[in-house]
Amino acid sequence: MKDSNGAQYRFTLAVRLSHWIWLLAFAVLVSSGLQIFNAAPYLDASDASNPARRVLSIDSPQDGVGTTTLFGHTVKTTGWLGWTDDGEGGKTARAFPGWITIPSYQDLADGRRWHLFFAWVAVLCWLTWIVSSARKGNLREMLLSRSDLPKLWPMQAYYLRLRKTPPPYGTYNPLQKAAYTLIGFVIAPLVVLTGLALSPGVDAISHPLTMLFGGRQFARLWHFAGMLALIAFFCVHVFQVATQGVVNQMRSMITGWYRGEHA
Amino acid sequence: MKRQLFIATSISAALAGCAPIGTALNDNAGVRKVLASVEGIDDAFIGSSGALAREYRESDVAPVFRVNGFATPSDANYRGLLASYYAKYRLVVDGAVERPYAFTLAQLRALPQSTQITRHDCVEGWSVIGKWSGVRLGSVLDAVGPRSNAGFAIFHCMDRDDSGTPYYESLDLRQAYHPQALLATSLNDEPLDPDHGAPVRLRVPTQLGYKSAKWVNRIEVVENFAHIAGGNGGYWEDQGYEWYAGV
Repeated sequence: MKDSNGAQYRFTLAVRLSHWIWLLAFAVLVSSGLQIFNAAPYLDASDASNPARRVLSIDSPQDGVGTTTLFGHTVKTTGWLGWTDDGEGGKTARAFPGWITIPSYQDLADGRRWHLFFAWVAVLCWLTWIVSSARKGNLREMLLSRSDLPKLWPMQAYYLRLRKTPPPYGTYNPLQKAAYTLIGFVIAPLVVLTGLALSPGVDAISHPLTMLFGGRQFARLWHFAGMLALIAFFCVHVFQVATQGVVNQMRSMITGWYRGEHA
Repeated sequence: MKRQLFIATSISAALAGCAPIGTALNDNAGVRKVLASVEGIDDAFIGSSGALAREYRESDVAPVFRVNGFATPSDANYRGLLASYYAKYRLVVDGAVERPYAFTLAQLRALPQSTQITRHDCVEGWSVIGKWSGVRLGSVLDAVGPRSNAGFAIFHCMDRDDSGTPYYESLDLRQAYHPQALLATSLNDEPLDPDHGAPVRLRVPTQLGYKSAKWVNRIEVVENFAHIAGGNGGYWEDQGYEWYAGV
C-alpha cells in the first residue's frame, strides 16, 4: 500500500506493537536474567554441575577483587564483573553489577518473577510478529531465500566499500534478511527452548529437549550465549537504524509509513 | 558522526535511568501481583502433567552431593536424636486425616521402599545427581487416610534460620501422590547423614530443590495453608519464591 507521496505502509499495528513490547521484554529479560545468573555465576558444558567442564565463571577471590574466567583464562574485572556495586550504594562480591540487574539489589526470587513473566510476553510478541507478518506477506520479504545466497558477499563487499553499488534487492537487503532469519528463526527459538529446558517440570515432560542441548547446565550455557547473540543483533540493529535515516526508520516503526528508496 | 554519538549517548543514559525505575517497579505491590500471575499458568501447563523426572544410571551419581541451604540443626532436641541413633525420632502425620500416627524410623523403613537416581535442580541454577531411597510419600498418606477436605500436605522441619524462623514446605495432594515424591532415608546407599537432612527428608525431583525439605518431623494435612506462617506454603515461598517450583 502506498500513499500519494510514494510512502509505503510497511508495518501493521500488530507488528509495531509487538516490536516495541518486545524491546521492553528484552530489556527486562536481560536484566532479570543477569540477576538470576548472579545466584550461580558460572556456566558448565554438562548436565549436572561439573567444575571440570566449566566454560565461564565470574568470581571474587578476595574482597575488592573481581575476576572473570573464560575457558580457563582469568582476567581481572574488578568494578565490572565479580566485585561490583551491590545496587544499594556499596560494593560487594557479585557477578553482574546492580546498575544492570532488576531489581538492582541481589534478589533471586524477584529476578525470577520478572523473568518468568516477561518470558511469556516475549513469546507472545514473537508469535504475533510471525503470524501478522506472514498474513501481510512481509515474512517472505524478510526471510533469506536461496536466491539471496549469491548476493550475501557482494552486499558485504559494498558495506566494506570494496564495491561501489549493492546487489539489486527488494525491501530488505540480503544481509538484513540473513540477520532477521537467524535471529527470528534460530536464535529466538533457541533461547526459548533452552530456557524451558532449565525447568525441572519441563525436563520431566520432555527430557530429550534438555539432552538435545547437552543437559541442564549446558542448556544454561546456550541460554546465556543466545542472550549475547541477541544483544549483538540489538547493537547492529540500532546502529543501522541510526545511520540509515533515523527519522524515517523510527517513523515507520511508530506510524507504519516508510518513505524513500526501497519503499 | 555527531548524530550517532548523540543517539549512543541517549541510549546509554536511558539504560542507566532504567535501573532505579526497574527497582521502584519491583517494590510496587501491584506490579508484584501482575508478575506473580503467570505462576498459575506454569502450574497448569507444566505441573499438571504428572510426568516422571528422568532416572539416571549409577555411574551418573555425583561423588559428593552438594550441601546447601540452612545449617544442620544443633539444638538439644536434634542432638538428642543423634545421640539416640534416631530411636527417639517420630514422624508425626496428623491434621485432616482419619488415623493420625507417629511413625518411628524403623516403621518407615518397614513400608515398601522405593529408590530413584534423579537430578536435584537448585533454584540458584546448579544441579547434582544422587541416589535416594525411602518410602513413597503416597504410601505414608495412604496409611493415615487423608479426609475428603484434605488439600495440602505441610512438611514441618527441625531446622531454623538465623532469626529462629522454622523451615517448612507444602505440596498439594496431587503432587504428594506423584510416584517420585519420596520420604528419603538414604542417600547414595548410605543412611542419610545430618547435613543432608537425616533422618528423613523429602525428595521432589520434578520441582526445584527448595521443595525437597530436609529434617522433616511432622506432616500436617490441611485444607489450605493460608493460616500457616507467612501463608504462602513454604519458608522460601514466604520470601517471594514460587509455590509451584517446577520452573
